[in-house]
Amino acid sequence: MALDAGTLQIGGESIESSWFLILAALLFSIGSVGILVRRNPLVILVCIELMLNAVNLTLVTFSRQLQNLDGQLFALMSLTVAAAEAVVGLGILVDIFKLRELEDVDDLSELKG
Amino acid sequence: MISAIFLAAALIALGGAVGIVLFRNPIASVLSLVMVMLALSVLFLLLSAQFIFAVQVIVYAGAVMVLFLFVIALLGPIRELPTRRLPRQGFLAVIVAGGFAVLLVSMLGNLRYHAPANADLSVFGSVQNIAFGLFTTYLYPFELTSLLLLVAAVGAIYLSRERRS
Repeated sequence: MALDAGTLQIGGESIESSWFLILAALLFSIGSVGILVRRNPLVILVCIELMLNAVNLTLVTFSRQLQNLDGQLFALMSLTVAAAEAVVGLGILVDIFKLRELEDVDDLSELKG
Repeated sequence: MISAIFLAAALIALGGAVGIVLFRNPIASVLSLVMVMLALSVLFLLLSAQFIFAVQVIVYAGAVMVLFLFVIALLGPIRELPTRRLPRQGFLAVIVAGGFAVLLVSMLGNLRYHAPANADLSVFGSVQNIAFGLFTTYLYPFELTSLLLLVAAVGAIYLSRERRS
């Protein structure tokens, strides 16, 4: 079966679909750096949202490349899950902050064995 | 023209992502994330995902980010101490994530695809097509999503209840 390198025709111009994928990979990696480096739980949630968005870009790019709508539907589902995750995550965070002052996510280590 | 739009949106997205990590102020981080999301929505339009574009702007850049800003305003500024658990944590994090990025890019950079399905691109990703998929093939996951949102809403209300000590 013939395989091609993945060139998208957009508005009469051709553009490599791998550009979109590489951009998504870089955004995902930057988000993971943020999770590893930052200590503020709110910013860590923001970085998780960034990584989810990068994955959405990958899904939509593959959907367009293969001209199959399933990727976009999956991106829609992951968007919903991301919104639910943000709501519950922020709820937990507000609840923790009501109990005590928190300076570092590592302060929440009571469950550590 | 298309390449220029792609490059501009990609640079804005990358700059915003770096901003999220580097800004000390959480509000600046959240506003950088809004910038990234708007840049990504432009890319979604380039990839003929009109409905995802609209949802991204309204739900994500609008509603979810306002939620983040509300929580920051509620909690007040959080003092962020320099890390004290692991020496040179930032350096190590960049090394690990950089290696991961190299792996991902080398994998994604030279993919080969089967010939596309030749869909009608003038209606690809339109509301009608998305709705057709959601209400036929993916009806069951779609209904489960509504259950997920209900559970999330109930959970958030439960978490933010008044505590009796």
